[in-house]
Amino acid sequence: MAARPRPSSDEAREALRDAMARLASGDQAALEEIYRATRVKLFGICLRILGDRKEAEDALQDVYVNLWQRADRYDPTRASPIAWLAAFARNRAIDRLRTGKVRSNAVPVEEAAPLADETPLADMLLVDAEQAAQIHKCLAALDDRTQGHIRAAFFEGYTYAQLAEVADVPLGTMKSWIRRGLQRLRACLEASEAA
Amino acid sequence: MSGPENTTPETPEDGVMRDDPMIAAEWALGLLEGEELLAARGKAATDPDFAWRKAWWDDWFAPLTDGMTGAEPGNHVWDGIAARVAHQAEAAQQTAATVSLEPAAPAANVVMLETRVRRWQWTAGISSAAAAVALALLAFAPGRSPVEAPPQIAATTAPMVATVPIGETGLRLDVTYIPETERMLVAAIGLTPDGVHDHELWLVPADGGAVQSLGVVTPGEVRSMVLPATITAKLGDGASLVLTREPIGGKPEGQDAGPVVAKGAFTRV
Repeated sequence: MAARPRPSSDEAREALRDAMARLASGDQAALEEIYRATRVKLFGICLRILGDRKEAEDALQDVYVNLWQRADRYDPTRASPIAWLAAFARNRAIDRLRTGKVRSNAVPVEEAAPLADETPLADMLLVDAEQAAQIHKCLAALDDRTQGHIRAAFFEGYTYAQLAEVADVPLGTMKSWIRRGLQRLRACLEASEAA
Repeated sequence: MSGPENTTPETPEDGVMRDDPMIAAEWALGLLEGEELLAARGKAATDPDFAWRKAWWDDWFAPLTDGMTGAEPGNHVWDGIAARVAHQAEAAQQTAATVSLEPAAPAANVVMLETRVRRWQWTAGISSAAAAVALALLAFAPGRSPVEAPPQIAATTAPMVATVPIGETGLRLDVTYIPETERMLVAAIGLTPDGVHDHELWLVPADGGAVQSLGVVTPGEVRSMVLPATITAKLGDGASLVLTREPIGGKPEGQDAGPVVAKGAFTRV
């Protein structure tokens, strides 16, 4: 693997799309290809949400076993494969948090051996740039506080209750802040779709 | 800042309408827990618009994951995946051979089968698909297989859910049991009365005890019922549900139950 030149991101994306299609049609070998191409990104997501290497590895296994079982749920007309897989992995990790088996971020992420800092994304497929630009733009249009809370929910897997505790405000206040933020976010994203 | 912020305590809704797209956003972001999370999952299973909106938010939020540093999992992770996939492919073949779901298997056989397959939980995870419900799905599509569930810490008050797909018809039952209230919700989605048959739902206790009727399901409706203690005592992890086809009004007294048309297992949320 190391001897081969790294494929461009477009090629990698296309190869992934192809592997997902083959998996959906029952080709078990495609699962390993998908794993090779996406494990670094998806493991990073699980690790960030769960904060524990062992838990994150268990979650990662579940992600791919589930993917193998239900590859037909991926709709290629809807999202890019890597975007869909990223959301899938994060949802699984959040599920694990919410079933009460794991304490959120039980171990500092720093202890969990990420890739070397200078090349954090070296082997990591990224979600489509255009889509990324728009969500960042719409988030940036929110006030700093709201944006911060929404980001904390996304990146740390915090619930409303946890966010309220961290910010030391009543739960209802936190809910209204975030809901107003989400309302604006939706309007901004929908406007970009209509444009 | 884009507008004044109301920082008065106890202003839960604060004029922001918590409509379905908002709930979908909260869910996608991961903010929900407990009953609200359960409700959202249940809704996604029965409401395609809601499921679509959840996927919409998932898609939009996905690029943010690029901000999460990648990391290399241990080599054993792939080995574990490969082993589980191989094991389950084998198990699926065995199971598929036994439960072809030719509507002929009497309920008693299903109980025996349940004993054999209990060690597999049937999960499919959460996804943007409308079929996603809670943590557990039972899929009987040929070529698909059961997936081992992560071990769960049993919380006796945790709601339990089961989805009972009916063959490959896309029809299914969604069953939710809320221990605190001893109340069970049964949603028969897409089922339509044929005028000749009713479908009766049965509880198959995990301990191998007698199958108990939960009554005839109401096509196209969500029905709420309070369960008697004799039944709630049997509801636990591993308890499963069987749907049989019966004459109108349900299984006649003194006769065997009709053919099994679908089957699902409870999982705590």
